Amino acid sequence: MLQLLIAGLTVGSEFALIALGIHIILRATRVVNFAQGEFSIVGGLIALTCAEALHVNAWFALAGATFAGFVLGLVFEIAVLRPAGRAGGEAGVTIATIGAVFVLLYGHALIPGWGSDSHPLAGFGGPLNIVILSSSKGVGAIVQVQSLWVFALLLVALAALYLFFERTYYGKAIRAAAENPLGARLVGIDVNSARAISVALGIALAAYGGTIIGPITLVGGAAGFALTIKGFVAAIVGGLESPAGCVAGGFVVGVLQVFLQSRMSYDVADPLVYSVLLLMLLVRPQGLFGRRDAVRD
Amino acid sequence: MNARLRDDARILAVFAAVVIAFGVLAQHDAGLSQAGTYVAIFAPAAIGLSILLGNVNQISVGQAGFFGIGAYSVGYLTVERGWPFWTAAPLGVVLAAAIGVGLGFVALRFRGHYLAMATLAFGLIAAGVFHAAPFLGHASGITGIPYPQFGPLTISGHAAYWFAWIVAFAIALLSLAMLRGRPGRAFEAIRNDELAAETIGIPTRRYKIIAFAYAGALAAAGGATFAAFLGLVNPDAVGIALSVDVLLMVVLGGSGLISGALFGAALIGYLNVVGHQWDNWREVGYGLLVVLCVIFAPGGVLGTLRRLAARTPSARAAAPLPAVGAAPRVRAPSAEPLAVRGVTKRFGGLVAVDEVSFALQPGTLTALIGPNGAGKTTLFNAICGVGRPTAGRIAIGGIDVTGRQPHRVAALGVGRTFQNARLFGEMTVFENVAAAAAANRRVADRRAREVIARLGLDHLAGVPAKDLAFGDRRRAELARAIAAEPWLLLVDEPAAGLNQPERERLNADLLALRDAGTTLLLIEHDMKLVMAISQRVIVLEFGRVIADAAPAEVQRDPRVVAAYLGTAT
Repeated sequence: MLQLLIAGLTVGSEFALIALGIHIILRATRVVNFAQGEFSIVGGLIALTCAEALHVNAWFALAGATFAGFVLGLVFEIAVLRPAGRAGGEAGVTIATIGAVFVLLYGHALIPGWGSDSHPLAGFGGPLNIVILSSSKGVGAIVQVQSLWVFALLLVALAALYLFFERTYYGKAIRAAAENPLGARLVGIDVNSARAISVALGIALAAYGGTIIGPITLVGGAAGFALTIKGFVAAIVGGLESPAGCVAGGFVVGVLQVFLQSRMSYDVADPLVYSVLLLMLLVRPQGLFGRRDAVRD
Repeated sequence: MNARLRDDARILAVFAAVVIAFGVLAQHDAGLSQAGTYVAIFAPAAIGLSILLGNVNQISVGQAGFFGIGAYSVGYLTVERGWPFWTAAPLGVVLAAAIGVGLGFVALRFRGHYLAMATLAFGLIAAGVFHAAPFLGHASGITGIPYPQFGPLTISGHAAYWFAWIVAFAIALLSLAMLRGRPGRAFEAIRNDELAAETIGIPTRRYKIIAFAYAGALAAAGGATFAAFLGLVNPDAVGIALSVDVLLMVVLGGSGLISGALFGAALIGYLNVVGHQWDNWREVGYGLLVVLCVIFAPGGVLGTLRRLAARTPSARAAAPLPAVGAAPRVRAPSAEPLAVRGVTKRFGGLVAVDEVSFALQPGTLTALIGPNGAGKTTLFNAICGVGRPTAGRIAIGGIDVTGRQPHRVAALGVGRTFQNARLFGEMTVFENVAAAAAANRRVADRRAREVIARLGLDHLAGVPAKDLAFGDRRRAELARAIAAEPWLLLVDEPAAGLNQPERERLNADLLALRDAGTTLLLIEHDMKLVMAISQRVIVLEFGRVIADAAPAEVQRDPRVVAAYLGTAT
């Protein structure tokens, strides 16, 4: 049990980061980004290239992937989302993100060294990889050191985001621009830049998540869309409008997935995880942590 | 008929000719014939999505799930149960429609694009069920599905081409008929302005669910022909890739056009065959095409061609304002038209409306005035069902309507205009008014013409609302609000931005409505107008009623003077 719980929380950390990225982008653009998971995959692959081709250590690879994610996010917002919104409104932007899924999913497979296969990524914890937890009752669990790194790095990301959005001038300006674009414009906030930075942060978060989980789940391959959907489920479970809810939802979905997968085939377990999304919409659309009026007109 | 639908029908006629010509030419070439059949099989799913996306602005990424329901219904019922295709296929379509209603009910309750996410989950869940259900053959699916038998004739080979296209065109024509009728008008209104559509009595959520379930049913029809003509169905064939292909067809072909969906289906069918050997590049190309299409050609290929071909609308001649026609008498219930009791509306810490109470007598004109931010529009919204009041009750004609949806309030006989004249921009004045004059289409059209004539808008009837001058916009909105013959009419700043002759005209229009028995509640800043036509004036300040009396009395009230001019202390 404990073993499964820890495994669930580990993959849940990745879902939490995807959900949080979806939340940040949704708040800034009012649109759900279907390409979030693909950016996570691409982020992990960029870390792989940093580590293997440039021979930097895992920490620099993580920094490189996150920075590349930020830059990709800026390009994505300025070259795709913004013009799509101008021409086609919210529906247009949503469709453009689905188009981006194709470009990223099949495009990354064309890049030499990436291909369509998954690759192992060097971990942060060095060669020592196993810790054993045990209690007096004899319930033990094997924990990869890498899992502990995932939790620690998730906390680092959350703390950084919190400080940025709550404690810095720029973070507050971005929040203001997302809450009330007209009002923000009137007090002199550049709403377009704020939106671009929000999207860039969301994508950077995806790349960061793809890299920290990489040593456990491998990087690359066609898993991006499934990641996006699990990010959706996590966000809906926790509350699409609530950042804390997105993180909690990520853990819930991660644990649920691992438990289901331990009892039945993936072909059945994954659809069960997805059906949680419909169930939540039916019984508690605002999520576990959202306010009721967040979804009602 | 709407210009878009007319063009759509014309392009469809051209397509029908192309399909017949192709069918004749390809009859001895099995490969070509089969390629043509494929296009017809996927076309219905694209038509459904085109209506959903182009008419009610909702995205579905789950068409493959519905397609699968149709395909598996035919597969299971014909192979395992020995049913004929002719009963199995309709059952699959009905099943898909029912699931569509359920899913739409769950996902269309909220603002935002929940439907896109929910349909994505649905598609994957459906694939999971097809995989897991023991009687559906797991990963290998169902094989050996018989060809449909029509009397002595087995529909296979080139006959399948003709049959699949007859189905596709029947669906196209059925859809065209629906779009020309009442659902089409409702869809058009919803796409242009959802809130305004609600306030003229259109149940927007119900129509969105209808559009979604219809799209699902069409996809299932395509799935049923797929199963019958390919003889097999498996989970991979109805996976997420198909959903995205259908979305591609619609975005590239032209959403909102039935012919666009057919064109997109043919285009993707062709590209899939041609681009066969470049797998990854082809998919990257599709992704880029979608993004480029959204940015540079939002109407898809056909929508863009149509826009380029469209003539620019001719300039309108300025016509004098005709005389006011007499409004028909309003059938009003005997009870109080409107009773507001202790209504409070809070937004977070801000109290916008604070314990407001008043009742209106039938056939009277009451003005609601107050400084900016006094809560007048918020109160209007609460009465119309836009935003539930925090406390208090609202009754219309003696019926408690507190917290009812706007279209249900409208259905009781409540009309409304907005401060910023929310017309359906892409519809003509006539279509705007006709959309509100509910009932069946012939009656609605006649009533719309009457109302337009009464308000002197005949010369503008065919002009798209977005091209109207400001004063005309206001009058067109008034026409739309009274088209359903409401007996309670809420008018929000109708005189703002009007010139003097237009104000006089408005004055006369409002009085004519009152004389016909309509009860009017008017928000207005033009004091001359207010004092001239209202029998009673209610003054709001900071959400509270500070005066409620005849105009002359209110003018003398020191508190009202202070509210408007500030206290001299």
